[in-house]
Amino acid sequence: MEGKVIVVTSGKGGVGKTTASSSIGAALALEGKRVAIVDMDIGLRNLDVVMGLENRIVFNIVDIVQGRCKIDQAAIRDRRIKNLFLIPASQSDNKDVLTASGVARVCKDLKAKFDFIIMDSPAGIEKGFENSTVGADEALVVCTPDVSAVRDADRVIGLLYSKSLSPRLVVNRIEPARVERGEMLSHEDVLEVLSIDLAGLVPMDEKVLISSNTGTPLVLQNDSKAGFAFRRIARRLNGETDLPIEVPTDKTSVWSKIGKTFGLK
Amino acid sequence: MLQGLLKRFSGQKKSSDEAKKRLQFSLIYDNLEVNDTTLKNLQTDIVDVISKYFEIDKDALELRVKRDEQVNALVFNTPILHVKRKEV
Repeated sequence: MEGKVIVVTSGKGGVGKTTASSSIGAALALEGKRVAIVDMDIGLRNLDVVMGLENRIVFNIVDIVQGRCKIDQAAIRDRRIKNLFLIPASQSDNKDVLTASGVARVCKDLKAKFDFIIMDSPAGIEKGFENSTVGADEALVVCTPDVSAVRDADRVIGLLYSKSLSPRLVVNRIEPARVERGEMLSHEDVLEVLSIDLAGLVPMDEKVLISSNTGTPLVLQNDSKAGFAFRRIARRLNGETDLPIEVPTDKTSVWSKIGKTFGLK
Repeated sequence: MLQGLLKRFSGQKKSSDEAKKRLQFSLIYDNLEVNDTTLKNLQTDIVDVISKYFEIDKDALELRVKRDEQVNALVFNTPILHVKRKEV
């Protein structure tokens, strides 16, 4: 059966695309799927360090597209999670080195070898974004609950629709206590503004930074709230479409709960 | 809860509500940003249609998107020189 290409994008940088790509990819592999995560940020690669595979790079995506190596030579196998592979970006090349037709052709080849191909798009809406979306069957838009990320998400959603992709949203770094205090947009607010389907809600989690410090997969940690959220998103992408969306809650704050019962938000 | 109490009695607004409102406005504005080529093409089309019925001053006409807090409108303003006679 042919695999599926999913592009992870956002417009704005620093909202968690790379974390989302690596975590959802790893979680899909844990579900038993064969997964390749492709770093499309040519010249500014990062997925390799986040996944802890930086010292095993031989070839990269540019080498594949330009025919200098085969897919199997460039794909780095993760030793902790079975069936998880990383295809790194090139660090030395210019952003414009890839052509859309070249990437589209490689996506086709990748679909023959993997069940899921996650394209980690660079920030922005220029050529890197075009190349990341050209072979995509599905799209995930990542945004955080702040005005700039939501506005950029809206722009990107429009662009994806014009490419006949119907994106789904991942709201990242939700801080339930601040939402409750009215200091942060709630996921309902974000959804209402963007009017788009939801793929999942991910709470703010200190474990994300720690797992990237050591290059260990977030989804393998038993105590990561964000890791659990990404695993649920992966299950949804893997066909469990009726898996309910879990809304992050602030379990520690008893007082705010009592407050809420009395209508004091 | 204390903060909630304070906010309730001081009448302080939630900043998240303001964020939402500002976002909704800015997105409408963003989507209304029409590029010049589209506007020019639209103008040519409108002039063609109106010219069938009226003689208009093509140099004095004005076409723009007017934005307002309540409504957004497309404004086309042109002086009419003559009404054309119906062709029999």
